This record gives sequence, structure tokens and C-alpha cells, in this order.
Amino acid sequence: MSLMLTKEDLAKYPFLKQTTSYVERMQLNLGDLAAVEYSGILRKALTRIKDSIERNVRLTDLTDPESEIISYPLALALVYGSKSNWLLNRFATIEAKRVEEELRKEPRDKILEIAKSGFSWEIENANLKLEWEEFPFSIPLQSYLEVATSFNDAHWKLVNRYVKGGFVFLNSGSLTRLVSEGFKIRIIKRASERELHKFRIPEALIPYLDEILMHAQENMRFDEELPQGLVSEARPPCIVAIMEDVKFGKSLTHMARFALTTFMVNVGESVDDVLKLFGNVADFDEGKARYQIEHIAGMIGSRTKYKPPKCDVLRSFGLCIGMDEFCRNAKHPLNYYKRKLKIMSGPGGQTGARDRKE
Amino acid sequence: MHEIVRNEFRRYYSGLREEDLEVPDMPQREYAFLQFGGEVMIRHMKFVNPSSLKEYIVENTPAHIYHSSAYYQMPEATDMNEKGWLGADLVFDIDSDHIRTECKDRHDRWHCIECGMGGAGFPPESCPHCGMKKIDTRTWICEDCLQVAKNEVIKILDEYLIPDFGVAETDFEVFFSGHRGYHIHVRSKTFRGLSADGRREVADYVRGIGIDIRSHGFREVKSRILVGPDMKDGGWRGRVARALYEFVNRASLEDLKGIVAPGVAKNLFDNKEKFLKSIESDPPYWGSLKGYTLESLEKIAIASIKDLICNIDERVTIDSKRLIRCPNSLHGKSGLRTLRVDYSSIDDFDPLKEAVAFRHGSIRIYVKEAPRVRIGDEELGPIKDKTLEVPLALGLYLICRGAAEPR
Repeated sequence: MSLMLTKEDLAKYPFLKQTTSYVERMQLNLGDLAAVEYSGILRKALTRIKDSIERNVRLTDLTDPESEIISYPLALALVYGSKSNWLLNRFATIEAKRVEEELRKEPRDKILEIAKSGFSWEIENANLKLEWEEFPFSIPLQSYLEVATSFNDAHWKLVNRYVKGGFVFLNSGSLTRLVSEGFKIRIIKRASERELHKFRIPEALIPYLDEILMHAQENMRFDEELPQGLVSEARPPCIVAIMEDVKFGKSLTHMARFALTTFMVNVGESVDDVLKLFGNVADFDEGKARYQIEHIAGMIGSRTKYKPPKCDVLRSFGLCIGMDEFCRNAKHPLNYYKRKLKIMSGPGGQTGARDRKE
Repeated sequence: MHEIVRNEFRRYYSGLREEDLEVPDMPQREYAFLQFGGEVMIRHMKFVNPSSLKEYIVENTPAHIYHSSAYYQMPEATDMNEKGWLGADLVFDIDSDHIRTECKDRHDRWHCIECGMGGAGFPPESCPHCGMKKIDTRTWICEDCLQVAKNEVIKILDEYLIPDFGVAETDFEVFFSGHRGYHIHVRSKTFRGLSADGRREVADYVRGIGIDIRSHGFREVKSRILVGPDMKDGGWRGRVARALYEFVNRASLEDLKGIVAPGVAKNLFDNKEKFLKSIESDPPYWGSLKGYTLESLEKIAIASIKDLICNIDERVTIDSKRLIRCPNSLHGKSGLRTLRVDYSSIDDFDPLKEAVAFRHGSIRIYVKEAPRVRIGDEELGPIKDKTLEVPLALGLYLICRGAAEPR
């Protein structure tokens, strides 16, 4: 059964094929949208962005669906044109949340229709009824993994899903989350496409862009800089365990070595300090090790400073030795470290003495 | 490495049929080689057909030949970012070295580089004498450990890839690696585009990493009333249910006491029949015992799936740009072939016989030390400090393993 999607639906779900072709049919030029007759649309686009900056999840305004529909690509163009990753992430997140809230109000058949139209996923009406549970939908494994790997909750892990015959079976709630996250990923991914690198906002819209960036600046809180040098007490358990292994001369797996080195480099340890750490390892080769550490620190080679692997990856490689209370809220070892540092230096916390000798 | 090994390898490759080097979508793969005695991998090579590959191999006679699991627009580009990744086979690597087997006591040795202490079998995490972790190992393979590896292959395919992932028999190939284990290459287009994160999820799935039985239907509906999955369910859901059933059915009181509190263990053991019956009932019912909670069920579940999880080298599965041994190439550490295994007759496959590349001739060797080894139908050892004439395949095997020298 195919349902007709209304204009209101196109306004609510900008990622639908029908929405895209609707906008294309209007043959609008981005520069023209700064003109007076479109001021309503521009205002809507700016509100969308403002809302995302302020983390304001607002349901779709359906009083004038047409201008609502056009306001999305305009807002997106402004966000891409800003070249701000912070704004891009914020916009994608809040738009996805809005979509999720809209989807929650839809009946099953319509969720299916929207998911199929929005993505090239071969979702089926599975109607799998188990004794105590129901899975109305099934999605091909690879489509599921395209999106679900960005979730951190254990129940999104493939191992915790009903998987059969190459399909993952889902309830409405899960499909809703998958669709909204898929939308978010699409917004973010497109920004790194080559053609968008060259994209510039038309002259007429630049004043609005400046206004947005100023507002973003006010709301942006930069990640705190990490301290220069390791504070032992703030290390996550996985790093402590690897360091213990090193102390006992164990030759580390590539992943353990990579995790430790990236962690150390990112908390501000010098190449020489990291090198000293490995001095006791069975298969130690100083020349090789120095080269690798300098590479990881971004001093040579591709000039990328590598970050440690996230918790999920460490877990897969058997390097997660179990959680402590800080782990529960962290997805990344550096995240853990920052959080613990903050608490240690906060009121009532002990001030972490730097390990580095003065 | 000895010239004689290299010459034999060259002779083998000269006689190889070109089609034996055929790999799907060959021009999109990167090839890589490791020379005898060399440490640096020769990489970023592209071959458009088996004949040009054969020509290169015969001329250069490498000790190891690899191709990428990945497909690239430009496999010959030296910068990984410029290769243009198009996708990759999904690969599972089963290596008997990573699996604890009893036979390791017979053929493996380890020693501590720090204090010199040593022993037989699977290496300890740290030296029991000095506590250091500088452990060196000397490992061998035998029929038993290769059988265990083969069982893992069958488990991955029959228990996971075919029923859960819907992989068709035409979509995968199984290879004996030529040394310690097996590779499974899943080539179906559906998995080609999986990201490294997606592959990690697949690896975690077959290894049972991060499994939470509450996600599989087990829950407490009221105080001490537990509901859960049906043994007929698919995926991990049914698997956990079946594993639990089997485990409780077989478990002794002692087994259960090792997992849950003694009182719960005794209660469960005494009421085994009733418990199993209620799991079999439709709909199944999982909580008919006093003092028995979701937590205890969880503990038993984790213990019961131990034999169902797969022993793979997860790094290989997760890597979307892995270099993998080329079919019908020789393994420089064994002289055996990387051989395709017909899955329908895998039960009868004898790797130490069928992967033998050198079927004629003999060689005189001096053996420093080796445990019992079998290559083809020939057996030797345990042996130490002896010079003798052996069949060529066996001799080359021992030389490649570093345990013998030609005389």
C-alpha cells in the first residue's frame, strides 16, 4: 500500500525524494532568496538556524508549508556556507531531533513510507510477532549498520538485535531513531563532499551569514584545552592497564600501542616521554618507535595528529577492562580524562598534580 | 632463506596454471609481496590479469604473496587516500595460534626473555617466575589444532553467516591459509560497502562481544516473574535460549555453583526438569523458581554461550583494507599452498595433505629440533639434532619453519 504524502509531510521531512523534487521544480536561485518578496522564507531559514544554535527543538510550522519547505535548503546553504563544523553539527542534530519528534506521531505505515522514500533502504513490512514482542519492520543488515554504528547505547549493537537472513528486525521506535540519525549523518557527510568545499554563499546573503556566525560565537563553548602533561589519577582504566603491561615488558598489540601513544600525545606528553614509556617492552626498537610516535603526533608524514580510538573500538579489541563510574558517561578515553580532570580540580576535588617534573 | 627453497618455489610457480591465480575483480586489487629474507613489503602493485601476475611471481619468486581485500579505483597509487576505496570483501581469519587447544602442550614452548624460565603449551600472560611479560614463543601446528580451526570455520558459517547474515553459499569462499588456519572471504556486494565501524559490529556479533541478554527478550515483568525468548527464535535471541537450555540440561550442581549463588544453584539443579519444561512451553516461561533472578539468569547465559562464540582474529575482519594471502600462493613459513576449500566437503578436508605443493622428490636435511610433524602421509619426530633424507614437502616445511637446514 502506498500512501500519498502531503505538502505538510514534505515540510516536515526535508530528506524525502518528493521534497527534493518539489524544490527542484521551483527552479529557485539561491541569490534571489535574499530579495524582499522572499523575506518570509529567509526569516524562516534564519529561525531554523537560530533554533539549532540555541538547541531549541521546535515542531514544523505548518501554517505555510510551501515557505517551510523552501526554508530548509536555504538554511542548509547558509550552514554549509558558514564553513563552521560546530554549526553544522548543531544544525544537523537539532533538525534530526525535530524529525524524530514528528515521526513519533506518525502511524507505522507512514513511517515505513517515509523511511523508504528518504533513503535507499529496502525496508520491509516484516510483521514479526514474537511471544512477548513485535517487530513490524526489517531492514537489510548493511543499511542498518550505515547508521546504527553512530549510536553508543548497547542495545544498538548488532549483537543485541534480532538478526535473521541478512535483515535486522525493528520496532517503530527504533526505525524512527534510525531515520532521524540517517538524516543527521547525511547533512554532515555532504559537507565534506568535494563540490561543497568550493561552495560560497551569494553576496546578497553574506550579511545574514555574518549575523548567524556572531550568534553562534556567543553560544559556542570551545572544548577545554587539555593540560600539558599527564595527570596519572585521571587516566581511564584501559590506559592504566596498558601502562601496567608496558611496565612488565609485555610486547603490545598494535592497537594497544596505538591507543597508548595517541592518548599520551593528546594529553600533551612529548615524544621523548612516550618513548621512555616503551623502553622496557620486549621487542623495543627505538628508531622505529620514535618514527611511529612522531607520525602519530602529526610531526611527520600526513601531519594529522591522531586521536585515541573510541571506547567501542577498544572494547572490540579486548582493551576495555571493565567500566568504572566515569566510564559510564564517556564514549572516548580522552572524554573520560577531561571529565575526571574537571571533577578533580573542581570544588572538593583534589587538584591533580602533574606527573611532569618541573 | 636458503636458495634451495626459493628455487623450489620458483619451480612451483612456473608450473602453476594461470587460472589458479584468478581472483574476482583482480584489476581493482592491490598486490603486495614479501621477499625471502626481506622485511619490507613491496606494495601498491596492480595486475590486470593472472598471466602478468604469474610472470612477475616467477621472475621475482617472493616468499609471501598478498592481495587486498579492498577494491580500489587506483590500486597502484602509493598514497592510501588516492587509491579511491570502492569497497572490500568481508574477511574472517581463524588462526589456531589464538585458540587454546590441548595439543599445544605437546608442540608449543614459551620462554621468558627476562629470566629464562620456560614451559610447554599456551604462553602465560606473564612469567610465573619473575612476573614480567616479555614472553617469547615457539609454536607449531598439528592435525588437532587445525581441526579446531576448521570447526570454527564451520561454526561461523553455519551458525552465523548463513542463517543470521543471509550469506548464500555462492557468496563466500573458504581458504586454508597455508599454515595455521583458515580465511573466509565473503564477496557478496551487500557487504562490500561496510565501513570499518560496520565491520567491527559484525566481528563483535560473531564473538558475542557486548551482548546484553535483556536486549533479547529476557525481562522481569513482575517481581520474580521472568519472561524470555523462544528457542525457535532467530539470531542471538534463539541462540541464547538454546544455549541456556542445553547448558542447564547438562550442568552438574558444581557447574552451577561456579556461576550463581549456592542456594540458587541447588534450587535450579533440583528443579531442572520443571525449569526446562517451562522453557519448552509455548509461550516460554523463564522464571518458575524461587530465589532466582534476572541477574542469575544473565550469569548462566554468559557461561552457556562460551562455546558458541567464534575465535577469529578480529583485526582482520575490522580492517577494510587488509592484505590477504593470494589463492594458490605458497606460504613462506611452511611451503604449503593457500588452498580453496570446497565447503560442501570441508569435513573431509585434510589441510596437511591437500595443501602439499611438492609431491615428488626428497631432500637431505639437518633437523635442529622439532615436535612430531606430519606433512602429507609422512610423519617425523619428535626429533632433535639429526641429519636425514626426507620427502621434499616435509623437508621444505621444516626449513621454512626454521627448524632444519638443507645438507
